[in-house]
This record gives sequence, C-alpha cells and structure tokens, in this order.
Amino acid sequence: MSSVTYLEAIGQAIREEMQRDEAVFLLGEDVGTYGGAFKVSAGLLEEFGSERVIDTPMAEDAIIGSAVGAALMGMRPIAEMQFIDFIACGFDQIINMANKMYWRTGMPVPMVIRGPSGGGVKGGPFHSASPEAWFFHAPGIKVVVPSTTYDAKGLLKAAIRDNNPVLFLEHKLLYRLPELREELPTEDYVVPIGKAITRRQGEDMTVLTYGAMVHQCLKAAQALEQEDDLQVEVIDLRSLAPLDKETILESVKHTNKVLIVHEDTLTGGIGAELAAILAEDLFEYLDGPITRVAAPDAPFPYAPPLEAAYLPNVEKILAAARKLAAY
Amino acid sequence: MPTSIKMPRLGESVAEGTIGSWLKNEGDWVERDESLAEIITDKINAELPSPVAGRLAKILVKVDETVPVGADIALIEENADVSASPPAEPAPGPDAAPIEHPDRTHAIVMENRSASDGNGSRASTRATGTKVEERQRISPLARRLAREHDIDLNAIAGTGVGGRVRKEDILAYVAQRQEAPVPVGASVTAPSTPSIEPAYSTPAPVSVGSQVSASPSPAFTTVEEEGIEVVTPSRMRLAIAEHMVRSKRTSPHATTVVEIDMTNIARWLEKNKEDFKNREGYSISYVPFVMKAVCEGIRKFPYMNSSWTEDNKIILKKHINLGMAVATDVGLVVPTLYDADQYTLAGLAKQISTIAQRARANKLTIQDLQGSTFVVNNPGTFGTILSVPIINQPHAGILSMDAVVKRPVVIEDDAIAVRHMMYLCLSFDHRILDGAGAGGFLQTVRTKLQSYSREIDVY
Repeated sequence: MSSVTYLEAIGQAIREEMQRDEAVFLLGEDVGTYGGAFKVSAGLLEEFGSERVIDTPMAEDAIIGSAVGAALMGMRPIAEMQFIDFIACGFDQIINMANKMYWRTGMPVPMVIRGPSGGGVKGGPFHSASPEAWFFHAPGIKVVVPSTTYDAKGLLKAAIRDNNPVLFLEHKLLYRLPELREELPTEDYVVPIGKAITRRQGEDMTVLTYGAMVHQCLKAAQALEQEDDLQVEVIDLRSLAPLDKETILESVKHTNKVLIVHEDTLTGGIGAELAAILAEDLFEYLDGPITRVAAPDAPFPYAPPLEAAYLPNVEKILAAARKLAAY
Repeated sequence: MPTSIKMPRLGESVAEGTIGSWLKNEGDWVERDESLAEIITDKINAELPSPVAGRLAKILVKVDETVPVGADIALIEENADVSASPPAEPAPGPDAAPIEHPDRTHAIVMENRSASDGNGSRASTRATGTKVEERQRISPLARRLAREHDIDLNAIAGTGVGGRVRKEDILAYVAQRQEAPVPVGASVTAPSTPSIEPAYSTPAPVSVGSQVSASPSPAFTTVEEEGIEVVTPSRMRLAIAEHMVRSKRTSPHATTVVEIDMTNIARWLEKNKEDFKNREGYSISYVPFVMKAVCEGIRKFPYMNSSWTEDNKIILKKHINLGMAVATDVGLVVPTLYDADQYTLAGLAKQISTIAQRARANKLTIQDLQGSTFVVNNPGTFGTILSVPIINQPHAGILSMDAVVKRPVVIEDDAIAVRHMMYLCLSFDHRILDGAGAGGFLQTVRTKLQSYSREIDVY
C-alpha cells in the first residue's frame, strides 16, 4: 500500500463512505465532470453517477440549503465549498437552518460542509479564509480541522457518520505537502470528533493549536528544545466544537503556561475562547499570561511579502514562547 | 486555639532574629498584614506583618531578645471578638454607613478599619506592612503555591522578568527550606518541645555566642582597661567576620591579575559624565563598563557563575546576578543587581545608582541581599591599585577593580605613552576553575573593556 497525500485521504474517505452508505452523496461547484477545483473528487462521477455526484450552480446558499433539505429527508449530503471563503454566501442556511433544525423539530440534519481553507498559497483576500470562529460561535454545528493525512480521512468519515451538521475545514496548504504523505490503514477507521491529540509532550509550556499551524508549532517546539532547553507540549485540538476541554485543562494544569496559536485573526478567535476557559477554570494554575499568536485583525493580504508578514510562523511562535517562558 | 507567630527567616543564611520593638501591645487588635513587630537580624531590619487578623493575646519574646528562626514569638487569638479590641480603634468616619442589619456587621467593621487608615497614627505602620507584598510581582500559580506552603512572599526573590516570582522560585524555596540546616542556636532553645509547654509560657531567650545576645543593642560597646579597649562588635561585624573565615576555609582561593587600558573609557567619561548626569539624573562610572564586560566573560566561561556544593557537585547558574559591594555607615553590604546581562551600560548605571542609594539609606530588602552569583568589588574608589578579594560564598569568584591611574606604558611600535591603566584582580575557587579558565575569563573582560572606541553608545 503506497502512501497518500492529505488531499487523497479526503478523496478516499468520500469514496469509501459513498460505497458504504447509499445515503451519502456529494454536491458542489465542479465536483463532478471537473473532479473538483483541487481534484478531491476526481473519478467519483464515473464511479457513482450524476445522481450522487452533483455539479451545482455557483450559489452556496442553494448548495447548503438543498443539503439541509436532503439531510432532513434522510440523506447524508457532503456539500463542497470550492473555496471556504464563499461559505459566507450560505451563512443563513447554516446558522438559521442547519444548526437549529434539530432543536426546533427533533429532526436530525446529518450533513457535512467541507472545503479548502487557510492561506500561505498566495490566494489573496478571497481564497485564504479561516472561517472557523464564525461557526464555532454558533451552537448546533460541529467544527473539525484536521492537520494530518490520517486525521483528514478519519475525521471526515466521523463527520459523514455524525447525525449533526459538521463543518470540515481542510487546509489547502496541506493538500499536497510531501512531508504529510502517510500510509493509511487498509481497514476502515474513524477519528472521533471532540478529541484533541497531544502531538508532543513537554513540561514547560502547553501550545494549543490546530490545522496547518500544528506543523509550525512542532517546528518551534523543536527549536525551543534545542536552543532554550524548553520542553513544550503541543496539543492539536482537531475538533474546535466540541472542544476537548479535558485534554486542554489537564495539560495546562501540568505545565502552568499556555500559548495559543491560530492562523485566523486574533479578535474573537478560537484563542479568545480558550483563554477565557483557562482563566475561568485554571486561574490559580497559571504561571504566566495566557498568550496568543494569531493573524492581525486585518483582511488577508495578496502581496506575497504582506502575506508572509501576516501569517503566524515559527519565528513569531518562538518569540512569544520565549517571552512567556521568561515571564 | 491561638495562632502562634514565629520568628521569620529574613534571608538565606540568617538563623536567628532579635525583636527590635513590638508595634502592638498585648490585647491590641491587629489586622492581617498589619505590622506586629520590628525584627533585627545580621543582615536586615524588617517589620513583621501579622499573618492573621485577631487579638494579640501574648507576647512571648521581649524586646532585644534573640531567638532562632521558627521560634514562637507571640500568640494571636483569631476568633477574638472585635469589640474586645481596646478603644484605641478610631470611631467610624462620617462616611461610615449606619448599622441597618445584623448581617452587615462584618462589612461595617471593614469600613471602620479603612476609615482608620486615613487617620494618621496607624496609617504608616499598616502601609509598610502590606505595601511590599502588594507591589511584588507574582504569578497566580506562585501566589497559590506560596499560600499552600505557608511562605512569606517577601522572603522570596523572583527570577522572572522584573523579579517576578514564578513557580520555580517557590519550588526552589521550598526545596531549600527543607534542606536548610537546623539553626545554630536550636540546641540551646530545644525548639522541639514548645508544644508541650503551656501555651502562654515564655521560652527562655537564646544565648548564641553569649556576647551577641548579651549586648542590649547592636551598637558598639566598649570596656575600659589599662591601655586597651575591648569592643564588642555589632551583629553585622560578627556576620562579616564569620562569613570571611568560612569563605577562606571553604574555597581554596587563587588570585590572578590583569592590567587593562581604560583610556578610551576614561576619556569618554571625562567628556560625557556631567552631561549624562544632568540628562539622566544618575551618574555613570567605570563600574557599569566592568560589569558589562564581566557578564560577557561569564557567558563565555559559565563556570565563573557557579557554586561548589557540599556533596561535590557544581551548580551552574543561568542568571547573572551581580553582587556589588557597598560601604555604608553600618558596614559592608553586598546587594544584588539581578540579571545584569540584560542591561545596557546606562541601564546598569541606573541600577547601580538606585541600589547603592537604597543601601546607604538602609532600605535594602531581603531580596536585595540574596540571589547574587558573582561579585564585582570596587576598592579603586579608595585609590587602591591592587586588591586580593575574598570570595562571597557560595560563589566561584570575585573581581576587584582597582583605581584607574595614569601610567607610562609601552604601546605599539615600542613607543611610550601615558595611558589610563587599571588592575583587575580575580580571586577564584580553585576547586571549580583552574588558571586557564580564570585567565580566559579575565582576557574576555579585558578584550571587552579595551574594545571601546572614543565614541561610546551607552544605551
């Protein structure tokens, strides 16, 4: 069995779930004939036909709205956003329909909205979004962010099998990253939603992160060990809603210092909520200020030097970690 | 059950303390953190804040008596009725709310107290009792740990940014407290039995080195005899004496000397000293330059910043905390300039100036007097040209800077020139370092000091 990329793992998950369950189908812009803008769904139209792999008009509210309707009728739709930025066009269907339907009617809405998010590929202001905080804030929808190839497949399978709407945020920078190639188990597996994973153990500081930033944090942690003799624990949240509070609190209780790193902008981001939880639950366990590294509160820039300055990176993480360690 | 108040440990190597005065009388009501007594030790005089609120039931140690650290010195009844406090408690101020409901009694008491704060007589003692702790930088975790381990925060030197007390400081303190040897005078007082004694008995005063506690005050006392005068040294003199003998006995001292051309620094100082002082409000001298160079030397030769332990280990210290010897009216003190390597030349000058001022005003805190890792001594101010210093235990070395004097020197091309020259004398612990390490360290210091050009950026 040869190794696969993060992107191929996502394609495998969709294919295997469509083979396993006839209720599962894919809809979105160019997902059929073209095989998806990033070729995630290449070959699926040929295998499953145009009733289960549906090319839609360029109208995200219609894509998500029909997915909600299909889910209510017992189907398990996977709605692809060609770029996650355009999810904003379907916002109403998500936060007024998908996430409230079960609450209002008792009818479950088993659907997945997935698409490429994140920057670092010179995509400019409309193709680089990290939209997790908007949906993280809304009750009734799960938000998962895989950082590895194994998790991409296992979490997507778990999302498809979940009876709630799940927002599945892929990171386009990771899609074809060679170092993320992995040999996946041949047998069926899922990665449960709501469980964080400790990617690296340490005593001196906890880093909470997710998505592509996991890899930046791991690099920073290695540098901190080599250059500063600091043992940094790196926790990949994987699931933002629901949050694995147990793992987070356990770690911070142990290390007493916490650095939160995300690619999304700072204000009102995931880090803000994590900071509030930690301050409320662990105030007397903190040996330094809860520190955040995030993108500045500005729209995503297009010019490459600006993009480089905008995104969190190893240097920014190192600087924040060193300041926190010395506090 | 009254709470017993114990003699605090005011500094690392302090084993006993003397009651300078009681700021409260038996029967007085004291608030938490209000100053109870003035404690005098070898190193420092400090007010003792009350750990609890209550009525001072009994004073167990009289003024001028010396007892070991940890001995009971007073008893406070925490559950005492507030009304039992003597009428000295000021009446409620005009703003105090009238009692409307029995549940509010406690709140009213608090208001009375705060009203009394602005009332003059008690304000000063109360303020000094709480101020130090409030001002201290401390993490939430360290605050909780200190509470759990029953640690007086004022006794701890923080190693975080700006002296902040962090987790490791508390844990190190706890570890040190557990390892701390039994106080010297302990066998005399038999402190293991006080709980058996009736709660209100007064333990006998300790006599440690009978001269010390026999002398009613720390001042010099003299006895006249034919032609000679016998002087009983002050506590501080005794402490210095003990330390010096112990240091010479502990570390095999070796001393090595380098000569440094300070001409560029001297000329810069001549030209800029006045302006600097007028601009910054504090003076700059040779000392910050030497300290800066010492930090560089320590970075290169980290063993210069270490300690040899009793179980034959070497402790390397990551923070460079320079002790600076300051002569005061009462004697020599060596306060600490924490993280000296983090400052610019101007920053060092400012630190030196404020610490020296605190020392001369007799306002050093416990923190000021602990935590140093290496000492820079400056006898050169007295015009000395060669000094052989004694190591401040448990350091690995001590550096003396002697006077910068003009000397004819052979320079490049065998020409003779008048240069500003200075000897730096390093005494080091030969258990830790050899001549090569010490020489290398001095060479780094010299290279740094001689690297300055005529224009120096001190910021």
